[in-house]
Amino acid sequence: MTGEAIELFIHSQDEKPRVAVAGPHEVLRDVLVRAEVITEGQEDLLVFVGEWEEALNEPDEIEDGEDGQAPVDLSLTIEALELHRHRHVHVHKCRRVSVQVHFNGRTKCRRFSPATTIAVVTIWARKKFKLDAAAGAEYVLRICDSEKQPRPSEHLGELVEPPKCAICFNLVKEIIPQG
Amino acid sequence: MDKPDQRLFEADLASAEFRAGAQKGYWGLSGTDMQAEQPEWPLRILWVAAVPRVNAPVRFYLQLDFSDYRTVPPTGTFWDPATKSPLDHNKRPKGKKDSRLAKVFRTDWEGGRAFYHPYDRVAAKGHPNWATEQPSLIWDCSHTIVDYLEEMHSLLNSGDYLGL
Repeated sequence: MTGEAIELFIHSQDEKPRVAVAGPHEVLRDVLVRAEVITEGQEDLLVFVGEWEEALNEPDEIEDGEDGQAPVDLSLTIEALELHRHRHVHVHKCRRVSVQVHFNGRTKCRRFSPATTIAVVTIWARKKFKLDAAAGAEYVLRICDSEKQPRPSEHLGELVEPPKCAICFNLVKEIIPQG
Repeated sequence: MDKPDQRLFEADLASAEFRAGAQKGYWGLSGTDMQAEQPEWPLRILWVAAVPRVNAPVRFYLQLDFSDYRTVPPTGTFWDPATKSPLDHNKRPKGKKDSRLAKVFRTDWEGGRAFYHPYDRVAAKGHPNWATEQPSLIWDCSHTIVDYLEEMHSLLNSGDYLGL
């Protein structure tokens, strides 16, 4: 890694992500305080880095699986945390987000890291419901009891409001424009 | 001085959502490598990456009209930076028959000057029924250029995309 500052994308619960610029030798806590994501000495939040994709490698037979991502130590530097590679920082009260996906009268559940994108959850759900890759491409996640279809790049942590660390989706087929 | 719609658009280009996609190589504002400068506002040229297909480019350019940005949806179509004109129909991305991609990128409607998608101003205006049929895709002022680009990127990276 060079000594150049990099752009980080900071995600917090129930708000839009923001951009922060940090140098390789800065301590992550200092960056988050400067970005006003946490306050000095705040200890009640968990911080994850990267975009977690463990669910994509989960064997089909696993039911009610759970991610293993651990929160990071805020006293480490940007360089030590390899944020030039990970880029995304998630600040959250939830260690995991319990996800339920409903499709054709069946339900699949898993506890995901808040750093998981909707794209990953969607691929996981299509696989769990055995929709083949070609036919399944048009199936997307819609939040239960709403018309909201989160974008593929949104993270689970942005969609839940602690203390409720859970969210429910329906897997629906996107409508082909007609008329 | 920039107009309010232009200022809002430029703020969205600086957003984490846009920057994160650009950093991954999903999309971007067309740079000086392709044209000397961007056209006069409200037009802007952007690109979207496509999954590799034989004899097809790995990115497609779009020229979009962002008049009254965010209040009303953008409109536009694929752009050829070499000829500085809308992309020839035979160079546009094709999809599996009857797929969503094939519908959105159809060229037999409005001469291919707009995308057949609820996020396109021309298409939305001509299809008031979409507001009830596809409520999740109805453009309102909470939508940004990132919503638009994610739709395009998803289509161009789906199994329904066949190439040219």
